[in-house]
Amino acid sequence: MIWSVAIAAGALVAAGVYLTMSRDLLRSAIGLSLLAAGANVVVFASGRLGNTDAPFVDPGLQRLSATAANPLPQALVLTAIVIGFSLTCLSVILVLAIRRRLGVADSAALQAAEGVPGPADEEETDE
Amino acid sequence: MGKPRASASSTTLRLAALAAMPAMVAVVCLWLFASGRVPLSIAVPWSPTLGIDLNLHVDALAIEFLLLIGGIGTAVFVYAAAYMRDDPHRGRLFALLTAFMVAMVGCVTVDNILALVVFWEITSVLSFLLVGFKHKYAPARRAAQQVLMTTVVGGLALLVGALLLGEVAGSYSLRHIIEAGPQLLDHPLLPFALGGIFVGAFSKSAQWPFHFWLPNAMAAPTPVSAYLHSATMVKLGIYLLARLKPAFGGLFAWEVTLVTVGAVTALWAMVLTLRERDLKRILAWSTVAALGTLVLLIGLPGPGAAEATAAFLLAHALYKAPLFFVAGNVDRFTGTRRIDHLAAMAKAMPWTAAAAALAACSMAGVPLSFGYVAKDLIGIAKTEGLAFEWVGYVTLAVSALTVAVASVAAVRVFWHGGGAPLPPVIREVPWPMLAVPLVVASAGIVLGVVPSLTGSLLDESARAMLPGSERALVGLVRADASSVGATAVVFLAGAAIFALWEPLHRLMSAATWLDTLSFAAWYDRGLKAISRTAAWVTSRLQHGFVPGYVGLQVLCVVAVVAAAIGSRPSLLWPAVEWPPLPVAVATAVIGFAALAACRVRDPFVLVLVSGLAGLGTALLAVFLGAPDVAATQFTVEVAFVIIVAAVIRQVRRFALPASVVGHRPLRAGIAVAAGALVAALVLLPAATPFDASASTYFGAHSLPAAFGHNVVNVILVDFRALDTLGEVVVILATLLAAWPLVQLLRRRPAGAAIGQAIVLDTVVRTLYPAMLLASVAIVVRGHDEPGGGFIGGMVAVAATALRAVAQGRDRALAGFPGGAIRVAGVGVLAALVSGLPAVVVGRPYLTHLWTEWSVGAFGAKVSTVLLFDGGVYLAVWGALGGIAALMIGLDERGAS
Repeated sequence: MIWSVAIAAGALVAAGVYLTMSRDLLRSAIGLSLLAAGANVVVFASGRLGNTDAPFVDPGLQRLSATAANPLPQALVLTAIVIGFSLTCLSVILVLAIRRRLGVADSAALQAAEGVPGPADEEETDE
Repeated sequence: MGKPRASASSTTLRLAALAAMPAMVAVVCLWLFASGRVPLSIAVPWSPTLGIDLNLHVDALAIEFLLLIGGIGTAVFVYAAAYMRDDPHRGRLFALLTAFMVAMVGCVTVDNILALVVFWEITSVLSFLLVGFKHKYAPARRAAQQVLMTTVVGGLALLVGALLLGEVAGSYSLRHIIEAGPQLLDHPLLPFALGGIFVGAFSKSAQWPFHFWLPNAMAAPTPVSAYLHSATMVKLGIYLLARLKPAFGGLFAWEVTLVTVGAVTALWAMVLTLRERDLKRILAWSTVAALGTLVLLIGLPGPGAAEATAAFLLAHALYKAPLFFVAGNVDRFTGTRRIDHLAAMAKAMPWTAAAAALAACSMAGVPLSFGYVAKDLIGIAKTEGLAFEWVGYVTLAVSALTVAVASVAAVRVFWHGGGAPLPPVIREVPWPMLAVPLVVASAGIVLGVVPSLTGSLLDESARAMLPGSERALVGLVRADASSVGATAVVFLAGAAIFALWEPLHRLMSAATWLDTLSFAAWYDRGLKAISRTAAWVTSRLQHGFVPGYVGLQVLCVVAVVAAAIGSRPSLLWPAVEWPPLPVAVATAVIGFAALAACRVRDPFVLVLVSGLAGLGTALLAVFLGAPDVAATQFTVEVAFVIIVAAVIRQVRRFALPASVVGHRPLRAGIAVAAGALVAALVLLPAATPFDASASTYFGAHSLPAAFGHNVVNVILVDFRALDTLGEVVVILATLLAAWPLVQLLRRRPAGAAIGQAIVLDTVVRTLYPAMLLASVAIVVRGHDEPGGGFIGGMVAVAATALRAVAQGRDRALAGFPGGAIRVAGVGVLAALVSGLPAVVVGRPYLTHLWTEWSVGAFGAKVSTVLLFDGGVYLAVWGALGGIAALMIGLDERGAS
């Protein structure tokens, strides 16, 4: 089972990295969300997968049964999903804003912050 | 006019009064020594856990340095107050000088070698600031930078050396290192420790090949040159070497290194003096030569060398500082320091000429000056250092050149006729500037006439460098034939060089290859190479192509982690087994979606495919026993697909043409490597034992302590409520970040729906309230059954998104009571407030309280948990629902 989940996480991360490296900023944003999904699977798997009963305390018992899944990574992943969603929305809005400003959502067009590198000023001017 | 001048002169007086500080140092030292309280130890703990203390240990060697710091410091402070009279920034100079003095006192008194390094570096930084004092003047800035680079690089080497030395000796205490020294000589790390210390000491004391910075440091104001770059700071390297001599002086490598470097420095510096025309630079080169002589003396074995070191240290300070003051006076009086323009100044500056004559006598080693005493001791040291016979010829040459330089400073400038005409008087020289060099230079003569005035200080100081040496300085002055002969030779040769100064100068200046091959030139080339290399690296790494940045970062992470995994062959891989069918199906869905996401070009299809990947992970969660995660993931995917599909529905043009997408094989390679690495990171821990203590704790206490059957929800709202609170705040922050961005974008006309289908509108009219109701129910029951604030919130977000699609943005936003931001804010506030009751009853913040509440037949458990989870619900709904409605309301048609 761990191999199957590992393949799923690896596939999500690989697709996420591939899309994030795209020049098309919308593809980058989608890639980021796939990357986040892959990370969630990794966190989930880190809690071990052997037990697959939902982590609810059964009626009549005082504690979780031994066959219940690990609840801790589930709690971590649950919030991470919602935060990941909000950040994906924000990045899509950023893509739209860039597109509005530049007319194109191409990361190769994002050069305003960086000048063309040239030789540094080596000579000081005397006063 | 009168008033500013009065206040300026009172400022001068106040600054001169600062001289009381170094004077105090000198007086206290004299008292300590005279009253027999030396050596003196004071324990000052600082950071005991790091093994760093500020213990002070003051022995005779430290006293001698403290006397230089205090004595020359007093002269410098008084002189500087007058010299800097018209400088508006003189307050800064005095602040820096005072700080420097304190750092120097620290350097020579602390017992911990790491504390010494700290003070040492402080003096480097202050030297940088003082050399660059005239910071509007480009050469001063350049010189300051050179000083800093050279001495700080040396300081770094010193730090390494000090750490290694502490490692070797098992203690950072200098006293302990010195005691243990003779037993450490065979330690394999010792050569490296001493190498670092040598580099540090040589760079600080301007020894070859670091000699070039000192003449350039003459860009500093003259009092600074006299104090830092002649009397005190440049002698720190000497101090450290002298301090460590008892421990390692017996090493042959120690002797060879110090004697060679010192001799080369002394001779080469004196030769380079011949190329200079600037009086201060001439003096600076002779200082380098003097420092070389001191290093040489520390390297020589025998008690005479230690005695000569102690004596020459004092003699040099007593003649070099006045000569710098003389140069400052001439500069002030005539406006130039070039010896071409200076001749026969004695008539105009009689007092300065007298001071120059006295100091030059001591420098040249004329009998009855303290310089002569020192020279004589150096002669004795040479006869004792039999192994280094060639040293004698070097010191002879250096002495002859020193005589010539002393003559230039005292005779040529003041008595020699001819040359360029006397320049007009620029400024008067105030009397303290005349008195100070005269007093200091006279001290050098008085001590020469009555050497016993130094008492046993120099003997004790020499004993600190060479324990057990019993030679006494007093009465040692030789008068045998060989020493008289040597003195005569030196003076004759010096006079000859002085007479031939001009031809020699022309000869040396013609040798321009000396400039191109000099270390200073290599330093400049090195600096240029650094900036060229930096430009080249920047152009390679910071190319402005964002995908390249991403790829490089991913590659670096993959390489580092893969190397870490590869370096541990003992790692175990879990056994391969066929997964349960549902898990296999979910993996297949994810794999298909991931592959498809990379292949499809149509943005709408891409969003759908990414939604499919999300559904795959939701499936995986279902089959791995995580219904809450699955529900969250599912609602998120639904909401996301609704939003993004609405945004880009009409704009298939949104995608870049496939022709601009390049580097596919490279990107695929990086992506596959990253994916494989992540898969490995999932697999490798699976074969190791698992520490389930945290999860077991939550499972055991969820019901008894927090009254919840849904352990995941209990963790979120109770055990780790503070984390959840932070996450809710992040979600609110996302809305606040998105809001102004959305305002910049074009909106659809108010009220315009996208769907405009009556069927959809009708369905949503009933679906929207039903979904909201359901979402509330999900929150309320979430503590015991699947559900909770996050899932309920996401269901409500999906409802709002649907409504925005069917009825338009404004109707959807109107669904938030008071507006989306307010709903989200109230949610965060509710979550924050829910933790307060616990504080009131004295429990930790966010400990949830429970109470039974019964109205008639109805009984219900009421808790602050509900307030918290309701807050989470409102924050998620308000923030993400708001974003969803805003995004769906965007009109992208006119944008491109």
